[in-house]
Amino acid sequence: MGAFDYRQAQEIRDAFARRDVRYLFIGKSGAILLGFPDTTQDADLFVEKSPENGRRIVAGLRELGFVVSESQEEEIVRGKDFVQVKNGPFDLDLVFAPDGIERFDDAWTRRIEVEGFPVCHIDDIIRSKAAAGRVRDQESLPRLRSFREYWLRHGKGQAQ
Amino acid sequence: MIEERSESEGPAGQGVDIPSDWFAAFEAAARRPLEQRMRYAFIRTYKPVLDDAPYRSFDTMQEYRRWCEDNLPDWLGYGRV
Repeated sequence: MGAFDYRQAQEIRDAFARRDVRYLFIGKSGAILLGFPDTTQDADLFVEKSPENGRRIVAGLRELGFVVSESQEEEIVRGKDFVQVKNGPFDLDLVFAPDGIERFDDAWTRRIEVEGFPVCHIDDIIRSKAAAGRVRDQESLPRLRSFREYWLRHGKGQAQ
Repeated sequence: MIEERSESEGPAGQGVDIPSDWFAAFEAAARRPLEQRMRYAFIRTYKPVLDDAPYRSFDTMQEYRRWCEDNLPDWLGYGRV
Protein backbone atom coordinates (compact mmCIF):
# COMPACT_ATOMS: atom_id res chain seq x y z
CA MET A 1 0.00 0.00 0.00
CA GLY A 2 1.36 3.42 -0.91
CA ALA A 3 0.91 6.72 0.88
CA PHE A 4 -2.45 8.46 0.93
CA ASP A 5 -2.64 10.79 -2.04
CA TYR A 6 -4.68 13.54 -3.63
CA ARG A 7 -6.59 11.18 -5.91
CA GLN A 8 -7.69 9.06 -2.95
CA ALA A 9 -8.74 12.18 -1.08
CA GLN A 10 -10.84 13.12 -4.10
CA GLU A 11 -12.39 9.65 -4.08
CA ILE A 12 -13.39 10.05 -0.43
CA ARG A 13 -14.76 13.50 -1.12
CA ASP A 14 -16.79 12.36 -4.12
CA ALA A 15 -18.07 9.08 -2.64
CA PHE A 16 -19.11 10.77 0.59
CA ALA A 17 -20.64 13.73 -1.24
CA ARG A 18 -22.83 11.36 -3.29
CA ARG A 19 -24.22 10.00 -0.02
CA ASP A 20 -24.36 13.26 1.91
CA VAL A 21 -21.98 11.92 4.55
CA ARG A 22 -21.38 14.49 7.27
CA TYR A 23 -17.62 14.50 7.92
CA LEU A 24 -14.64 16.78 8.27
CA PHE A 25 -10.95 16.25 7.80
CA ILE A 26 -9.30 16.71 11.18
CA GLY A 27 -5.88 16.19 12.76
CA LYS A 28 -2.70 16.71 10.87
CA SER A 29 -4.29 15.58 7.61
CA GLY A 30 -6.82 18.39 8.01
CA ALA A 31 -4.07 20.90 8.78
CA ILE A 32 -2.20 19.79 5.67
CA LEU A 33 -5.29 20.45 3.55
CA LEU A 34 -5.36 23.95 5.04
CA GLY A 35 -1.74 24.47 3.96
CA PHE A 36 0.28 23.27 6.94
CA PRO A 37 3.60 21.87 5.70
CA ASP A 38 4.32 18.67 7.63
CA THR A 39 4.18 14.93 7.21
CA THR A 40 1.65 12.34 8.32
CA GLN A 41 0.48 8.88 7.36
CA ASP A 42 -3.24 8.58 7.84
CA ALA A 43 -6.32 10.52 6.93
CA ASP A 44 -8.37 11.38 10.00
CA LEU A 45 -12.06 12.06 9.52
CA PHE A 46 -14.32 13.57 12.16
CA VAL A 47 -17.67 11.98 11.36
CA GLU A 48 -21.05 12.87 12.75
CA LYS A 49 -22.30 10.22 15.14
CA SER A 50 -25.77 9.23 13.97
CA PRO A 51 -27.21 5.97 12.65
CA GLU A 52 -28.08 7.51 9.29
CA ASN A 53 -24.63 9.02 8.84
CA GLY A 54 -23.09 5.71 9.90
CA ARG A 55 -25.00 3.87 7.19
CA ARG A 56 -23.87 6.43 4.63
CA ILE A 57 -20.26 6.09 5.76
CA VAL A 58 -20.37 2.31 5.39
CA ALA A 59 -21.83 2.59 1.89
CA GLY A 60 -19.15 5.10 0.96
CA LEU A 61 -16.37 2.97 2.39
CA ARG A 62 -17.56 -0.08 0.46
CA GLU A 63 -17.66 1.93 -2.74
CA LEU A 64 -14.07 3.00 -2.07
CA GLY A 65 -13.01 -0.63 -1.75
CA PHE A 66 -12.95 -1.10 2.01
CA VAL A 67 -14.07 -4.45 3.34
CA VAL A 68 -16.70 -3.79 6.01
CA SER A 69 -18.23 -6.82 7.69
CA GLU A 70 -21.75 -6.83 9.08
CA SER A 71 -20.49 -6.58 12.66
CA GLN A 72 -18.23 -3.67 11.71
CA GLU A 73 -21.13 -2.01 9.95
CA GLU A 74 -23.20 -2.39 13.09
CA GLU A 75 -20.45 -0.72 15.13
CA ILE A 76 -20.10 2.20 12.74
CA VAL A 77 -23.86 2.71 12.59
CA ARG A 78 -24.11 2.52 16.37
CA GLY A 79 -21.30 5.05 16.57
CA LYS A 80 -18.18 4.05 18.45
CA ASP A 81 -15.95 6.94 19.47
CA PHE A 82 -13.03 5.76 17.34
CA VAL A 83 -12.73 3.33 14.42
CA GLN A 84 -9.51 2.54 12.60
CA VAL A 85 -9.83 0.91 9.18
CA LYS A 86 -6.81 -0.50 7.43
CA ASN A 87 -8.51 -3.02 5.20
CA GLY A 88 -8.98 -0.85 2.15
CA PRO A 89 -6.96 1.09 -0.42
CA PHE A 90 -5.62 3.45 2.28
CA ASP A 91 -5.71 3.83 6.05
CA LEU A 92 -8.52 5.81 7.57
CA ASP A 93 -9.28 6.86 11.14
CA LEU A 94 -12.94 7.60 11.81
CA VAL A 95 -13.22 9.81 14.86
CA PHE A 96 -16.76 10.16 16.16
CA ALA A 97 -15.85 12.09 19.32
CA PRO A 98 -12.56 13.93 19.05
CA ASP A 99 -11.10 15.28 22.25
CA GLY A 100 -11.74 18.97 22.82
CA ILE A 101 -14.74 19.35 20.49
CA GLU A 102 -18.16 19.15 22.06
CA ARG A 103 -20.45 18.71 19.09
CA PHE A 104 -20.06 17.90 15.41
CA ASP A 105 -22.45 20.71 14.50
CA ASP A 106 -20.16 23.27 16.15
CA ALA A 107 -17.17 22.14 14.11
CA TRP A 108 -19.31 21.92 10.98
CA THR A 109 -20.36 25.56 11.40
CA ARG A 110 -16.71 26.59 11.60
CA ARG A 111 -15.51 24.33 8.76
CA ILE A 112 -13.32 25.46 5.89
CA GLU A 113 -13.80 24.16 2.34
CA VAL A 114 -10.59 23.48 0.42
CA GLU A 115 -11.24 22.37 -3.17
CA GLY A 116 -14.47 20.79 -1.98
CA PHE A 117 -12.85 19.04 0.98
CA PRO A 118 -14.62 19.89 4.24
CA VAL A 119 -11.94 20.60 6.82
CA CYS A 120 -12.08 21.49 10.50
CA HIS A 121 -11.10 25.06 11.31
CA ILE A 122 -7.49 25.28 12.46
CA ASP A 123 -8.72 26.25 15.94
CA ASP A 124 -10.64 22.97 16.20
CA ILE A 125 -7.64 20.99 14.98
CA ILE A 126 -5.47 22.67 17.62
CA ARG A 127 -8.12 22.25 20.31
CA SER A 128 -8.42 18.54 19.68
CA LYS A 129 -4.66 18.00 19.67
CA ALA A 130 -4.22 20.03 22.84
CA ALA A 131 -7.00 18.08 24.56
CA ALA A 132 -5.64 14.70 23.43
CA GLY A 133 -2.43 15.50 25.27
CA ARG A 134 -0.28 12.89 23.56
CA VAL A 135 3.45 13.29 23.23
CA ARG A 136 3.20 13.47 19.44
CA ASP A 137 0.54 16.18 19.68
CA GLN A 138 2.49 18.26 22.17
CA GLU A 139 5.46 18.16 19.82
CA SER A 140 3.47 19.45 16.86
CA LEU A 141 1.43 22.13 18.70
CA PRO A 142 3.98 25.00 18.69
CA ARG A 143 4.35 24.77 14.91
CA LEU A 144 0.61 24.38 14.42
CA ARG A 145 -0.02 27.50 16.54
CA SER A 146 2.48 29.44 14.46
CA PHE A 147 0.76 28.19 11.32
CA ARG A 148 -2.57 29.37 12.74
CA GLU A 149 -1.16 32.88 13.08
CA TYR A 150 0.15 32.80 9.52
CA TRP A 151 -3.11 31.35 8.20
CA LEU A 152 -5.35 33.89 9.93
CA ARG A 153 -3.13 36.75 8.90
CA HIS A 154 -3.58 35.69 5.30
CA GLY A 155 -7.35 35.82 5.67
CA LYS A 156 -8.02 32.13 5.38
CA GLY A 157 -9.98 31.65 8.58
CA GLN A 158 -13.45 32.47 7.31
CA ALA A 159 -15.91 29.66 7.90
CA GLN A 160 -18.10 28.50 4.99
CA MET B 1 16.75 35.08 13.77
CA ILE B 2 13.99 37.47 12.73
CA GLU B 3 10.57 36.52 13.95
CA GLU B 4 7.24 37.51 12.49
CA ARG B 5 5.16 38.94 15.29
CA SER B 6 1.43 38.76 15.58
CA GLU B 7 -0.96 40.52 17.90
CA SER B 8 -3.86 38.23 17.16
CA GLU B 9 -5.15 36.02 19.88
CA GLY B 10 -7.68 33.27 19.93
CA PRO B 11 -8.77 30.18 21.77
CA ALA B 12 -6.17 28.00 20.15
CA GLY B 13 -3.19 30.30 19.80
CA GLN B 14 -2.33 33.01 22.25
CA GLY B 15 -0.53 35.61 20.15
CA VAL B 16 2.37 33.37 19.22
CA ASP B 17 5.39 34.35 17.15
CA ILE B 18 6.34 32.71 13.90
CA PRO B 19 10.01 31.74 13.69
CA SER B 20 11.43 32.85 10.36
CA ASP B 21 12.24 29.35 9.13
CA TRP B 22 8.67 28.24 9.81
CA PHE B 23 7.32 31.38 8.13
CA ALA B 24 9.39 30.56 5.06
CA ALA B 25 8.05 27.01 5.06
CA PHE B 26 4.44 28.26 5.33
CA GLU B 27 5.04 30.68 2.45
CA ALA B 28 6.56 27.96 0.31
CA ALA B 29 3.66 25.61 1.04
CA ALA B 30 1.15 28.33 0.19
CA ARG B 31 2.68 28.62 -3.28
CA ARG B 32 2.23 24.89 -3.98
CA PRO B 33 -0.99 23.44 -5.36
CA LEU B 34 -2.85 21.13 -2.99
CA GLU B 35 -1.99 18.01 -4.97
CA GLN B 36 1.72 18.74 -4.59
CA ARG B 37 1.36 19.62 -0.91
CA MET B 38 -0.29 16.29 -0.31
CA ARG B 39 2.40 14.43 -2.24
CA TYR B 40 5.01 15.97 0.05
CA ALA B 41 2.96 15.48 3.22
CA PHE B 42 1.63 11.94 3.21
CA ILE B 43 4.23 9.29 3.80
CA ARG B 44 4.03 5.58 4.40
CA THR B 45 6.05 3.87 7.09
CA TYR B 46 5.28 0.76 9.08
CA LYS B 47 4.08 1.45 12.62
CA PRO B 48 4.50 -1.63 14.81
CA VAL B 49 1.35 -3.04 16.43
CA LEU B 50 -0.77 -0.18 15.09
CA ASP B 51 -0.50 -1.44 11.52
CA ASP B 52 -0.89 -5.10 12.41
CA ALA B 53 -4.68 -5.29 12.45
CA PRO B 54 -7.03 -4.44 9.59
CA TYR B 55 -9.71 -3.00 11.85
CA ARG B 56 -10.03 -1.72 15.41
CA SER B 57 -12.77 0.09 17.21
CA PHE B 58 -13.16 1.64 20.63
CA ASP B 59 -16.30 2.64 22.47
CA THR B 60 -14.64 5.71 23.95
CA MET B 61 -11.63 7.86 23.18
CA GLN B 62 -10.42 7.14 26.69
CA GLU B 63 -10.43 3.43 25.90
CA TYR B 64 -8.48 4.10 22.68
CA ARG B 65 -5.90 6.27 24.47
CA ARG B 66 -5.46 3.60 27.14
CA TRP B 67 -5.02 0.89 24.49
CA CYS B 68 -2.35 2.99 22.77
CA GLU B 69 -0.45 3.46 26.03
CA ASP B 70 -0.67 -0.21 26.92
CA ASN B 71 0.19 -1.65 23.53
CA LEU B 72 2.23 0.75 21.39
CA PRO B 73 5.96 1.39 21.76
CA ASP B 74 6.64 4.66 23.57
CA TRP B 75 8.69 6.04 20.71
CA LEU B 76 5.60 6.25 18.50
CA GLY B 77 4.47 9.11 20.73
CA TYR B 78 0.91 7.94 21.39
CA GLY B 79 1.34 8.09 25.16
CA ARG B 80 -0.15 10.99 27.05
CA VAL B 81 2.06 13.67 28.51
